[in-house]
Amino acid sequence: MTHKDYSNNTKIATLKASSSLKKGYMVFLIPGVLLFLLIFVFPLLANVVLSFTRWSGIGTPVWVGFANYMKAISDSNFWASFKNSLLLVIAVTTIPTLIGLLLAGFIFERIIAKFGRGIANFFRGGFYLPQIVPVVVLGIMWRWILQPNWGVLNLSLKAVGLDMLARNWFGSASTALPSIMMMMIWMQIGYPLVIFIAALQRIDPTVYEAADLDGASWLQRYFYITIPLIRPEIFVVVLTTIIYVFKAFGQVYVTTKGGPGQATIVPSYFSYQNFFQRSLVGYGATITTVLTIIIGLVAVGFIRMQTKQEQEG
Amino acid sequence: MKKSLLWIVVMVLSISMVAAFSFAGCKAAAEAAAAVAEETPSDVVGTLKIWDMEVDNAFSASWGFAREEFKAMYPNVTVEYEMKTFEQMEQSGKMFLNSASVPDVMQCCSGLSRAGMYASEGLLTDLTAVAEARGWNDITPPSFQTTCRYNEQGVMGSGNLYGVTNYGDFVMVYYNKDMFTQYGVEVPTSLAELEAVCDKFVAEGIVPITLGGLTGWPIGHVWWELVLYNADRELINNYFLYTGDVDFQGEAFASGAEKLAEWATKGYFDPNVNGISYDDANVAFVQGQTPINITGGWMFGSFLEKITDFDWGIFLMPGKNLNQGSGGDLWVVPEKAKNKDLAYAYIDLTLKEEAQTIMALVGGVPINADLTQITDQKVLDLNAAFSTIVANDGMAFYPDWPVPGYINVLSSNLQELLAGTITPEEFNNAISIPYNEYKESRE
Amino acid sequence: MLFPFALITNNSFKTETEYYANGPYSLFKSLNLDALKKVWNLMTYSIKLRNSIVISLSVALLAIGISLLTAFALGIGKVKGKSFFIVFFLMAFLLPQEVLVYPLYYLFKLVGLYDTRLSVIIIISVLYSSFGTYFLSSVFSAFNRELIEAAELDGCNKLQLLFRIIVPLSMPSLSILFVFFFIWSWNEFFIPLIFLVSNDNQTITIAMAMAQDQHGTTVTSQSAAALIGVIPCIIFFVLFQRTLTKGITLGSIK
Repeated sequence: MTHKDYSNNTKIATLKASSSLKKGYMVFLIPGVLLFLLIFVFPLLANVVLSFTRWSGIGTPVWVGFANYMKAISDSNFWASFKNSLLLVIAVTTIPTLIGLLLAGFIFERIIAKFGRGIANFFRGGFYLPQIVPVVVLGIMWRWILQPNWGVLNLSLKAVGLDMLARNWFGSASTALPSIMMMMIWMQIGYPLVIFIAALQRIDPTVYEAADLDGASWLQRYFYITIPLIRPEIFVVVLTTIIYVFKAFGQVYVTTKGGPGQATIVPSYFSYQNFFQRSLVGYGATITTVLTIIIGLVAVGFIRMQTKQEQEG
Repeated sequence: MKKSLLWIVVMVLSISMVAAFSFAGCKAAAEAAAAVAEETPSDVVGTLKIWDMEVDNAFSASWGFAREEFKAMYPNVTVEYEMKTFEQMEQSGKMFLNSASVPDVMQCCSGLSRAGMYASEGLLTDLTAVAEARGWNDITPPSFQTTCRYNEQGVMGSGNLYGVTNYGDFVMVYYNKDMFTQYGVEVPTSLAELEAVCDKFVAEGIVPITLGGLTGWPIGHVWWELVLYNADRELINNYFLYTGDVDFQGEAFASGAEKLAEWATKGYFDPNVNGISYDDANVAFVQGQTPINITGGWMFGSFLEKITDFDWGIFLMPGKNLNQGSGGDLWVVPEKAKNKDLAYAYIDLTLKEEAQTIMALVGGVPINADLTQITDQKVLDLNAAFSTIVANDGMAFYPDWPVPGYINVLSSNLQELLAGTITPEEFNNAISIPYNEYKESRE
Repeated sequence: MLFPFALITNNSFKTETEYYANGPYSLFKSLNLDALKKVWNLMTYSIKLRNSIVISLSVALLAIGISLLTAFALGIGKVKGKSFFIVFFLMAFLLPQEVLVYPLYYLFKLVGLYDTRLSVIIIISVLYSSFGTYFLSSVFSAFNRELIEAAELDGCNKLQLLFRIIVPLSMPSLSILFVFFFIWSWNEFFIPLIFLVSNDNQTITIAMAMAQDQHGTTVTSQSAAALIGVIPCIIFFVLFQRTLTKGITLGSIK
């Protein structure tokens, strides 16, 4: 390590040092960019190209132009999958995020203050547990809970006399998607909760001084001061959850497999069926291309918004 | 401390890479060695990779026995046996068949959507000559040949021999004898009588037929049986072998869908049928809650083992000759397999009487067993039922075979049919579209 | 919240006849380990466990490594076109995994890495680095610029800046990432399913799915499989609680 002689060349040294930390970061991007080109850009481009072909996975793909896209437009499964996906995104992004915000505030402000870290950790842990468990296991669990004849939910409803609320949860077209929503919300709550609690812990308590002097309640404090301060985390949570739900595959795979009928089919499961079961790789690629475009647009919109916020703030 | 983090990363990477590559290297060497087969079995050195999908049933018992025999016969061959699931085989099938990770012999579903597709893409070894030389054709009944042969388009029934089946499979009606006696009904001899039996149970407040609609495909078995009541061999050939057009609004399909919808409205199935899994439905039968279970021979061994509380038996759906069934799954030898001779030797052993008889004893339907050894009346009934189908030239296969991925189309539409959200006509129309689309795309 | 777990534990200890006779809610009669043993051997759980650990650990480390380098450039270095790069990296996170499979299958087959754990490690690490980059660059962007200027005055070069200052400061975030990545990769299902063919290479999650799929499996086996699959998660989870608390207290000391 060369030792800079400051005593004689302070100015030059400072200049050199400052320029060495202001530029030249590009090189750190190289490993990431290379890997990404290989693992993502290449398959993505291949996928788009494939969407214009008919291919069974082996042999040579046959160019068919826009035929797959035309087919998608007239395929009710295609539209059903995106409609279901949209509903899932709305439900599973907003509800867990809101619950997460409130719970995080509650745990942080009230529980830690009154009962200490231990209990707070226990709560946070309990809520986060579903995120840790493989979706396969969760599928088994929820299938048991929602079994129409002897599942816990229906049995409990009957036990308290709420018979008429008992449903054929996964088996009826009207309740199948809501059931998946229920399951996914239960699974998701822990994620925003953990991130928000961590976010709350990086806030400097001094910002509350003015509010405390004014006699604000913790809720008011929370909404007007805290939440704006943890905006970066909220952005991250909302965006990543939206993307995650759009891509949701496992939850449908381990429970309803898209049924009954088209009630729970989602784009990734639909494309999976085409890729692997119907051997219509070209058509499957079409579906994933459309899905990717949609997700891409949403993401770009979000990031633009976030960067603007960062510049203003 | 942070630099060490970087070093850990580098080390992990290097170690993993070294491990991966050396492992790949080892594999290649071993396979090269195994490629050379010598004369006497005890001299042969190498590996045999076997994949199948069965566990804890007649097939796993029979094939496990064959594997033991093989090991005794070839003491210097390492047998690598792996159990796979149906889903794994289905979705990754083409990928691994096209790679270096192929097994030497594996269990493969019959029909165009599986074995046929693989055959037409050159992924399977042509076994025609081998079968002839080793006498397999003498053991397999001629009617089984349909599912063993595939032509260049992957259509079954003609062309080279790509698979070897060693058992039979069919759909039947399992019934609870005690419940029948209790409610004073007898084994029906016609469809009308079967419906009368069901009506009796419904009147007593019991769901007559157990059915798990959650994953959809079990419904297909019941539906296809109903379609068969008005089908004939010509329709079957048109449907499976593409020898002619299939009229999805014709008598067979129309009556089949109508009948199924009717059964649903009459309360023959649990009202929550689409929320019940196949496992749950079988449990309901085993626990003696539902008297009738229309499903396939693959459950026979399981019922034999698990039903201890009541007397039960089987009968074929009464009043017709065509019955869902076929030669069972095939042994196929991938084209890229390295140890084909050893694979053939293993197949030999699974076809031999010893292994076949074991299959019979545990409740399977073998093709080459010594049935005099069977004492369980139910098992004898099972084999007799299958022989009846064969004698009547009644094999009507399974409805999802003609189109890859058809099972999803059938499943989701059958669920809707049961729920009453589509009419029989709409149902038949919905399933005709992918069928005809696929058929046209092949021309 | 925890009831489903209790259900699985309960049913793992029953014998099959017990289950069929009494249903899923009755308490198990005795600690019957048959189902657990059977599943353990059938699925060769010890091997799968080892695979899962190797893969998850490697992925967590590798993904953090890549994210760190990239986020450093974006969040601290503020290179030109930062937005563009963020979107570029985030793009990977957007992609449904089905998109990757066929092309990567051919790619890895070419280099002989199909059906190896390394292929899965590489793919998943790069996938998670997408999230890691986004997350860390947001965090780094919010860092106090004065810190960096102070580093300049001290004559740090970039590597020193990265490892001596940035990394310790971002320990809470790095800890969270480590935990997330480990858990997520543990639960990864689709990619391992496609790329790991030989049973010896497979992970626990696949083994559990297999237990579910098999025609002949019983409920007790399924419960046992689920239980065994969940326990490592829970153990790790308990460790997670400690790390997170430690990590956060560290970060608040500035």
